Amino acid sequence: MGTTILALLAVVLFFTIIFFVAKASELSSIGKDANEEMESTSNLQGKLLFAFLILGLGAVAWSFFELGPRMLPQAASEHGVLIDDMFNITTVVAMLVFVLTHIALLSFAYMYRYRRDKQAYFFPHSNKLEMIWTVIPAIVLTFLVFRGISAWNQIFDFEKLEGNTEVLKFEATAKQFGWILRYPGPDGEFGNRIIDSEHINQMNELGIDWEDKNSHDDFFADEIVLVKGKPTIVKLGAQDVLHGFYLPHFRVKMDCVPGMPTQFMFTPAYTTQEYQALLSTKKYWQQINPETGNPKWQDFTFELACTELCGKSHFAMQKVVRVVTQEEYDKWVIEKNRSYYYSVINPDASPELVEVAPVELVVDSLLEVVDSTLMEVVAAH
Amino acid sequence: MSEVTAHHDLEHGAHHDDHHESSWLTTYIFSQDHKMIAKQFLVTGIFWAFIGGLLSLFFRLQLAWPNETFPILESLLGSWAEGGKLSNEFYYALVTMHGTILVFFVLTAGLSGTFANFLIPLQIGARDMASPLMNMLSYWFFFAASVVLFLSFFIQTGPASGGWTAYPPLNGMRDIAINKGSGLGFDMWIGSMTLFIVGSTLGSLNYVATVINMRTKGMSFTKMPLVIWALMFTAVLGILAFPALLAACGLLEFDRLLGTSFYLNNIVINGDLQAYKGGSPLIFQHLFWFLGHPEVYIIIFPAMGIVSEVLSVHAKKPVFGYKAMILSLGAILVIGFFVWAHHMFVTGMSPTIGKVFVIFTLLIAIPSAIKVFNWITTIWRGNLRFTPPMMFAIGFVSLFISGGITGIHLGNSTIDIQLHDSYFVVGHFHIVMGVAAFFGMWAGVYQWFPKMFGRFMNPTLGYIHFWGSIIGGYMVFFPMHFMAGVPRRYYAFDQFQSFNNFTDVNVFMTLAAFLVFAAQIVFLINFFYSMFKGKEMTEDNLNPWGANTLEWTTSVHPGHGNWEGDLPEVHRWPYDYSTNGKEINPQNMPLGEGEEAH
Ligand code: HEM
Ligand SMILES: [Cu+2]
Ligand SMILES: [Cu+2]
Repeated sequence: MGTTILALLAVVLFFTIIFFVAKASELSSIGKDANEEMESTSNLQGKLLFAFLILGLGAVAWSFFELGPRMLPQAASEHGVLIDDMFNITTVVAMLVFVLTHIALLSFAYMYRYRRDKQAYFFPHSNKLEMIWTVIPAIVLTFLVFRGISAWNQIFDFEKLEGNTEVLKFEATAKQFGWILRYPGPDGEFGNRIIDSEHINQMNELGIDWEDKNSHDDFFADEIVLVKGKPTIVKLGAQDVLHGFYLPHFRVKMDCVPGMPTQFMFTPAYTTQEYQALLSTKKYWQQINPETGNPKWQDFTFELACTELCGKSHFAMQKVVRVVTQEEYDKWVIEKNRSYYYSVINPDASPELVEVAPVELVVDSLLEVVDSTLMEVVAAH
Repeated sequence: MSEVTAHHDLEHGAHHDDHHESSWLTTYIFSQDHKMIAKQFLVTGIFWAFIGGLLSLFFRLQLAWPNETFPILESLLGSWAEGGKLSNEFYYALVTMHGTILVFFVLTAGLSGTFANFLIPLQIGARDMASPLMNMLSYWFFFAASVVLFLSFFIQTGPASGGWTAYPPLNGMRDIAINKGSGLGFDMWIGSMTLFIVGSTLGSLNYVATVINMRTKGMSFTKMPLVIWALMFTAVLGILAFPALLAACGLLEFDRLLGTSFYLNNIVINGDLQAYKGGSPLIFQHLFWFLGHPEVYIIIFPAMGIVSEVLSVHAKKPVFGYKAMILSLGAILVIGFFVWAHHMFVTGMSPTIGKVFVIFTLLIAIPSAIKVFNWITTIWRGNLRFTPPMMFAIGFVSLFISGGITGIHLGNSTIDIQLHDSYFVVGHFHIVMGVAAFFGMWAGVYQWFPKMFGRFMNPTLGYIHFWGSIIGGYMVFFPMHFMAGVPRRYYAFDQFQSFNNFTDVNVFMTLAAFLVFAAQIVFLINFFYSMFKGKEMTEDNLNPWGANTLEWTTSVHPGHGNWEGDLPEVHRWPYDYSTNGKEINPQNMPLGEGEEAH
């Protein structure tokens, strides 16, 4: 309490002193020649503005070095490179404009600060100049729009994956405050969801239709596992309010909207391990994380976050994302091996009863794992 | 064109004061004098700016030191900061109220309410607004809106906390289990906004009517000061855009109270399917941003107008490209209505529609660029008097550039995938709109304070205010661009290692925020002290800045009716500086022999 009062007093004292100093300077200027006064003030402020230009540009440059390395590292997805390129090109253009206009603005301020013996130059307009600075921005912006839209077209060209069976699909449904992650299982098809109060209940928040055999091998995960180089479509939805599905490193962001499905398509370009290795070459990421004692890159994981304000714990909707090779993925799917249907909904049924592909596929992929291990063994000899 | 004289005989208004008993109540409270109403808007705006700024300090504390406790917070905020730590629920309430207050109550009502009221009649040579009564009502609706919003801080579930954008379904269901602020707090938010929109519409209609009909003899449209053009366009924007928000809020309240489903569909709460069917949250977003984007121009136009005026007066040089300045404002006004969905690129809207909005959004950067280049050319080879208003005007140009260029990133939907709802956006709009518009407002306050109160503000305190604000403002918001991958509206970042690289930067930004706040205290002291005790303006120095415009032809304390005798007649445009052998050539000065009107 005592310190609070002291601090308050100090603050009051601080402002009082400023006030009296300022007041004194006002009083001392009484009787002086107003033009002379204006000349010396403008001289001082003009110089300060110039100093502000120099120091400001210095600070901006410094911040690029100091803060730049802390930005998200390079894109970990294929389309992410398009976004980053666009960002960088635009930043170069923007910084050019920023620097040039500031040099002009603030050095003019300095150069043309008030002098009693001078007169301003009457220069009301010039069609030529105005033409120039209409046309140049127009050209630059047209270029940026074209590049931007062509990248945008590629990013949202869902048709390019049509008929492609090699696509990894998963579903992320957001709710306060977490994610329901559903994988279609080995058959690659999600079970149907039926939105009515018969199907939706606390045991079945998504309203999955257990009559639909496609649902029988679907499983829930509590991390997102992706395959390097494999086109991925994430089907998005929300239960209660808006949420945002954001994979920072993959440059993936799309809102999750109750009652309206959305989706995003991307292809991971590195496995988590490869990405870590990449970071390990960067100075910033070699720093030791004080909490774990490891270099930062070693603790690195990809993450999923929420980017649409969804209530009090919006800031805490984290999930880990892992990118692995196809073999590791297949192994993960098998290890998961607990389709919700057989473990919870209908534990008495046995998986063999299902005619559809799952079991075969499971066996197939198991064989593949065995195969590739064998190959490695062979190769090793 | 320049011969147009929309002159109206308003002589009956000349001795307005004589016809009415003017009591203290009708002079200071229920005044119909546009100058008093302007001051009411200004003081109310300053009050809200103080509150809004204070709120930001509270949540900046949380962002800088998420794991510390500040006992003083508990004594100030009680159960909202139990143990001296802001609760996450109240954090979101603070952020929501901060945005609402600053965007609407300060930078809309406080800014255009003050300067449209003060400057329009004085600069076009009118005795008052077209409808002084409507004008008074416009303030009192704003006042009522302020009371409702203020009271919402004191209800048990606290004020609205679902963001200043008020998106449903978070704000669309009246259920405090979903969001504490979505109960009564949000009803009050809607109530307050409704009153606000009524007030703003009354004011705007009045401003437009006044500019069109009540210009004095000789004041053709092309002789109007740019600030009047800007204020009139602001009013047009408001008239066309705010009704969309009113409609959006109305439907939202239907959903909340009557169980309709305009914005809601298939909501599941704890495994329980709600009865809402068939609506879409995106409809709200479209309606909201149909106001929301023009709203950013409602905020920046008055500032642009003020800055054009101030630069030219203190450079003693005409605004460069007067017509281009008007046309670019007009272009922004029109295009500004076709860019709203750039706030929605990744909200699930069709990517095809997104492309249209990319084109319009980047198109709008062209008139913005023209304005910047013209301002810079205005000071080129001027004779620049660095008075406090001039400093703020130059600061405005700097800020508008710095914040505008990042609009080019955001307007390109491809880049916006990554940047949407990140700190990059926070940096962008705080610089281009928040700080820049404040600079415009301060430039205006320092410029017209002598006309408002017949006294001067202390310049030294003005410079301290300026330097503290511009240095501090940049230190708070520039580093945010590097947090381009960090989501906004996060109470803490420790849940994610991806976003945890900026701990010390957050501390830095918070300290800078305190610096900015301290500079504002300096301003407050200066403002209120000078109002009563500042250096007096005298009859022999009626035009202290040496301006050409008509407001400086009135007496030190102009009465209701503004000019004691006849209304001034206008002979020239407002920017005849440093020509004709003289530094200033006031608008009411007849053309010299052989001189041609500009
Ligand atoms: C060069 C012109 C400009 C362009 C191209 C531009 C573009 C954008 C875009 C695309 C966004 C949405 C970003 C996102 O949420 O992902 C945005 C946000 C915003 N802009 Fe601008 N902008 C420009 C100028 C301005 C001006 C002049 C103002 C205000 C005076 C302004 C105020 C805002 C505000 C308040 C937001 C954030 C609203 C919110 O989400 O809470 N912008 N801008
Ligand atoms: Cu969220
Ligand atoms: Cu916008």
